[in-house]
Amino acid sequence: MYRRQFIQSLVVAGLGSLIQDESKAARYQTSMRFIRPPGALSEHDFESRCIRCGQCGEICPNRCIQFFDTQNGLASLDTPYIIPREQACILCMKCGEVCPTGAIQKIEREAGSILQFVKMGQARVDEQLCLSFQGKTCGVCYRACPLQDIAIRIGMLEQPHVSTACVGCGLCERSCIQIPQAIRIIPNQQGKQVT
Amino acid sequence: MNWQMHLNKLRWVVLSMVMFMLILLPFLHLYQSYVAAHAYDLLSPAEKLIYDSMELISAPFVSDPETDLNSFKGTSWSGKLFGITLSDPLALLGQITASKHIYWPFVVTALIPILYSLLLGRFYCGWICPATFLYELNDNLGTWLKRAGLPISQRRLDRRIKYMVLLAGMVIGMLSSAVVFAAIYPPAIIGREIYYAIAVGGFGTGMVFFLLTLLFDLLVARRGFCRYICPGGALYALLGRFRVIRIQRNVLSCNDCAKCNTVCQFGLDPWHDDFGQECNNCSACIAICPTEALIFKIKTTDTTYQGAGHLGQEYKKQQGEKKPSPGEL
Repeated sequence: MYRRQFIQSLVVAGLGSLIQDESKAARYQTSMRFIRPPGALSEHDFESRCIRCGQCGEICPNRCIQFFDTQNGLASLDTPYIIPREQACILCMKCGEVCPTGAIQKIEREAGSILQFVKMGQARVDEQLCLSFQGKTCGVCYRACPLQDIAIRIGMLEQPHVSTACVGCGLCERSCIQIPQAIRIIPNQQGKQVT
Repeated sequence: MNWQMHLNKLRWVVLSMVMFMLILLPFLHLYQSYVAAHAYDLLSPAEKLIYDSMELISAPFVSDPETDLNSFKGTSWSGKLFGITLSDPLALLGQITASKHIYWPFVVTALIPILYSLLLGRFYCGWICPATFLYELNDNLGTWLKRAGLPISQRRLDRRIKYMVLLAGMVIGMLSSAVVFAAIYPPAIIGREIYYAIAVGGFGTGMVFFLLTLLFDLLVARRGFCRYICPGGALYALLGRFRVIRIQRNVLSCNDCAKCNTVCQFGLDPWHDDFGQECNNCSACIAICPTEALIFKIKTTDTTYQGAGHLGQEYKKQQGEKKPSPGEL
C-alpha cells in the first residue's frame, strides 16, 4: 500500500502547511517589507475578512496594489499588498470604497479622516544615507509627501523630520533618490479600525 | 416546436459572455489607469493598442472612463456589474467562518445569488461559472481523445465528497482564519488568474491548481471536480434542494434512446428520472432529446421513476406487443 501512504503523507503535508509557523512568514523578513492598502484592518482580521476578490487592485489607479503568491504563507495567498519602493499609495481611497467585505474600511478622501483612520506604517529617515543629513541639500521626500508639514517637516538643508501623523503611504520612499533609499516605511500591522 | 431545446445555445452565449467580461475587465482596468495617468504619449506601442481598443469598446457606454468604469469591477467571485455589487454565497460563507463575524453590507451583496440558487438550484454552475466554460471544453477534448483511442477513465466517485470538502473548508477556515475556499474554488481562481495574467504580469499558483483539476477531469472522472469536489457546487446544491424549476421526463414521448444519459456531463440519469439536487440546469439533455420528452417544469419535487418510455422497445415488450416493423414507424 505504498500509494495510500504516499497520498496520506501528501494530505498531512498539505494540512500542516496551512497551519503556518508565524516566524517563517515573510512579513518578518526585511526583504519583503510590505504594507496593506490604506484602511486595512489589523493583519489577523484582514486575512480572515479578505475574500481575495482582487477588486482593490483592479480599481487602484496607481496600480500599486500587488497580490501575494505563496511567499507570505498560504494564509495570505492572493491578498493585496503594497511595496512602497516599487509603487506607493496615492491615498485615493478607492480600494476601501470597492472592498465588498470591509477588510479595507471605507474612508473619506479628505485630509482629516485620512489622518485619523489610515495607518499603513510610519516613515523613518536613515540619517547615514539621507543626502540632506550629509550636507547635500535634497528635500525630494518632503515634496513627494501628500501631507506636507503635517507628516513631514523640513529643517536646515531640507533635512526631513517625520512626525507620528505620517500615514505610511510610502510616496517619500518611492521618490527617494538615494540607492538604497534613505527613508523607509516601517509597516504597521495593527491597522486602525473605523468605529 | 419546443423552444427549450435552444436554451443550451443561449447558455453557451451566456458562458462566453462571462468569460469575455473576465478578459475584458482587466484590460479596462489598464485603460483606466492609463487615462488616470494622462500619459498616452508615454505608453509603449502594445499599451497604446490596449488604450485605443479599450477606448473604442467603452466609448459608447461611458463619458468619463476614469470614474464611470468603476461600476464594472471584479470577477464572478465578487464584483460590480452596472454598479451593483454581487458576491458568491461561498465567499460569504467562507468569510463568516473565517472571521466569525457578520459584515452586513457583504451579506446584502450575496442576496441575489442566494435567491436565484433557491429558485433554480445549481443554476450558477451551469450558466455563469467561468470554470464550467473551460471544464465543458475540457470534457469535449476528453471525448475526442477517447475517440482517438486514448484510455480516458470515467470513474464514478461518491457525490457526497463535495459536501465533506465544503465542511472541511469551513473548519480549516475557522482554524486558520483565512478564506480557504478562495484558493480551491475554480471560478474564483479563473477570474483572479485572468486578471493576474493580463494586468499584473503572469499566472500565480492558482493556475497550477486549476490545471490539475483539468487533468483530474480528464484522467479520473468526467467533470469530476464539479461533481465530486467543488465546495461551491455543494453549497449551491444544498441551497437548491427545494428549487422550483426542474427538468422532467414526459414518459409518453420518451423512446428510451438514452442520449440524455450520454450527454449529461454530470453523469445523472434523466432516462430514469434521476436528476436530484446535482442537476445544474444546463439543458444539454433537452437539446439532444429527439422526441422532446424532456422539458423544464415548475415543480418542487422530482418525479420517481416512471418506467420505460412509452415509445421505447422495453415498454412495448411489457405491453405484450410485437416489435413494430419498419413500415409501421
